[in-house]
Amino acid sequence: MKRFIKMFSLVLALCLVMTAIPFGHAEDEVIDADLTCTITLGNWPPDTAADAEKALFEGYKATMARQYPNVTLVPDYYSYSLSNYVPMAKGHTAPSIFQPPFTDPQLLISQGLVGDVTAALEKFGVLDQFSPSYVEMLADENGRIYGLPRDGYVLGMHINIDLFREAGLMTEDGLPMYPRTLQEMAEYGQIIKEKTGKAGLVFPASETYGGWLFTNIAWNFGCVGENALEYQDEDGRWVCNFTSPQCIAAMEFMRDLRWKYDILNADATTTDWAGAHSLLGTGEAAMNFAADDSVDQPTANKGLPVDSFALIPFPAGPEGRYALAGGTCYMFSPDITEDQAIALMAYLKVLGKLPFLDDQIISGMRADYAAKRDRGAPVLPAISAWTDAEYNAAKQAIIDEYCNVDMRLYADFFGSISDGTIALKSEEPIFAQQLYRELTAVVQRMITREGADVEKALRKAEESFQEYLDDEYNDY
Amino acid sequence: MSSKKGRLLSGSRSSEHIKAWLIMLPSLLLMTFFVWEPLFESVRMSLYKTRNVELVRFIWFDNYLSVMKKDDFLQALMNTFSYTFWSLLIGFLLPIVLAVLIGETRRCKGIFRTVVYLPNMLPGLAVVILWSSFFSGGATGVLNILLSAFHIPPQTYLTRAEWVIPIIIMIATWKGAGATALIYMASIAGISPELYEAATIDGAGVWQRILHIMLPAIRKLAGTLLILQIISVFQIMYEPMVLTKGGPDNASLSLMQLMWQYAFGGSMNYGKASAVAVTVTLILLVMTAIYSYFNRKESDWD
Repeated sequence: MKRFIKMFSLVLALCLVMTAIPFGHAEDEVIDADLTCTITLGNWPPDTAADAEKALFEGYKATMARQYPNVTLVPDYYSYSLSNYVPMAKGHTAPSIFQPPFTDPQLLISQGLVGDVTAALEKFGVLDQFSPSYVEMLADENGRIYGLPRDGYVLGMHINIDLFREAGLMTEDGLPMYPRTLQEMAEYGQIIKEKTGKAGLVFPASETYGGWLFTNIAWNFGCVGENALEYQDEDGRWVCNFTSPQCIAAMEFMRDLRWKYDILNADATTTDWAGAHSLLGTGEAAMNFAADDSVDQPTANKGLPVDSFALIPFPAGPEGRYALAGGTCYMFSPDITEDQAIALMAYLKVLGKLPFLDDQIISGMRADYAAKRDRGAPVLPAISAWTDAEYNAAKQAIIDEYCNVDMRLYADFFGSISDGTIALKSEEPIFAQQLYRELTAVVQRMITREGADVEKALRKAEESFQEYLDDEYNDY
Repeated sequence: MSSKKGRLLSGSRSSEHIKAWLIMLPSLLLMTFFVWEPLFESVRMSLYKTRNVELVRFIWFDNYLSVMKKDDFLQALMNTFSYTFWSLLIGFLLPIVLAVLIGETRRCKGIFRTVVYLPNMLPGLAVVILWSSFFSGGATGVLNILLSAFHIPPQTYLTRAEWVIPIIIMIATWKGAGATALIYMASIAGISPELYEAATIDGAGVWQRILHIMLPAIRKLAGTLLILQIISVFQIMYEPMVLTKGGPDNASLSLMQLMWQYAFGGSMNYGKASAVAVTVTLILLVMTAIYSYFNRKESDWD
């Protein structure tokens, strides 16, 4: 009898363990036949997308059909922008799922324009596996979750190695002698401009991009903590602080990049994000502040071979070494029902965006990385937004199989993140887009008017943004 | 008898009225839903504190005061007048000149008409993107490539605050002048040939025919097109938005672009966006009223 109890306990324990491990379900297994609803899926690949990408999404759809036979998936080519989303959400025509950048979730949450998926996440058991910084971006003050991270990125610098080689900026190992500080960046840029005639640095300073990139430079000049560009005082009021000595020094450096070192691209004030990648990819500029999630832009999209491309950490400033960490997330229509929320989580699981592993997901990852490699885009380690170690390790093993680059060209970028030599910062906490707009105007003034008064321009921008903070938050 | 006839007449008039209203009804409905209601809603929204498109509380003219005391509004207002000035300088006379030249042409008139109208058939955004390559500041900009033939080093164009508005107006004129010229041509074609014949018999040359017959004939049309041009230029948006994004340093920011920024540029402040839109409408109403006043006085005098 004792032996029987032992055996019974062992079998029971084994069953329990097997149940707990999230290995997923066999490909053809129906997971929930009772779940009945329709979900519309934004960002579905358009007809003009690569065949491999379209096939990938059709595969996801087929898997959903097998696992949740009564969930109807309606593909939607919708691509999010704040301007097109608001009327759709108010008119109840927004797709069930869409992908905004990390600058917008808090605005959308505060305006009641997105759906709550907390209960659905709990049902899938992943609520506690977000990287805490992402939870902060995607939850309201009551801890209700309205979004999921799609992927994270860290801002660094893209390098066109051909121009570094032409300028003689190479080490004995055949690697680019890349700038480790902002000062070195200015000096190397000058050498490149002199030796090649091409821009040392492409700086997209149109719309809000100029301010967005400038905040990174400002952090490295010390605009953090008590000198932050915006902070909350003891009364809870948000205060704009563009006129600290640190911010003024950063803006003076920005002005010097144009007038002292002359390393910027010619049309910086009209260059946008895509234009910056284009200039680097086509060999018109040697350096570009950009992140690990856009390495396919200058390479696969603009024809720069992967062995002529490197990704380096954001150069340090006189007061520290900081880089922006951000990304894209999934958010949901404010009209979704509880069943739709569950179906949407199931869809994200099939996409491999939840920290679960099964053959289907792994084959999806393989197909994704193979497609990247075939397009000529670098296949790189991912910065995970999940804390699940098993999931992260499995993903890395697959990436290693498809890696098509000399990892020495990326080692310092990823190393600086993992060993903490670079401090990651999320975007300025409140009304970031408006802050960027104000700072972009100042950056534009600095790079188009040689004698522009830095302090005066920053003071005007500060007054304007403070009024905005008062209107929209402090006195709301 | 007469009262019976009166009743008959009155009956037929009523039925005509009903028919007239029925004919107008679809247009009235469309105008109500797509023009008047949004216009009214915009005025109403401009008087409210908004939360996206919801009206939170009535705040009188606070949105107007807040918008108008900001530097970017004053800059956008000045820029918009600057757009209008350059548009009148570059774009008002050109279609008249084109129409007169083509009107005086004896051969291949149809080809000239088509060629002049051709840019108008291109999509607006395509035109702006095309010209952005022309004025690109690097060594690969088309204008710089042309200048390099004369050993002139590459210049920048769209990053110079003093040049952006004339360049944008030049592009808009390149696209739109042909269409306006066609309207003038139609007007010129309507001038009685007898006038020309009589003038020729009296010994009038080309210049005298243009000065004393053509230009007086199109004067009223030119007045109408002038006010339409001002209204159109006052609403300029996509050209600076695509070409310069309003920069550098707001040097090409227009009022309509400012309105777009308030609504969709990240702050989602539809109340302030509506305040800018209503302000633009009011400025245009005043300008149109002034024009109509002088035009009416002139007509009375005529």
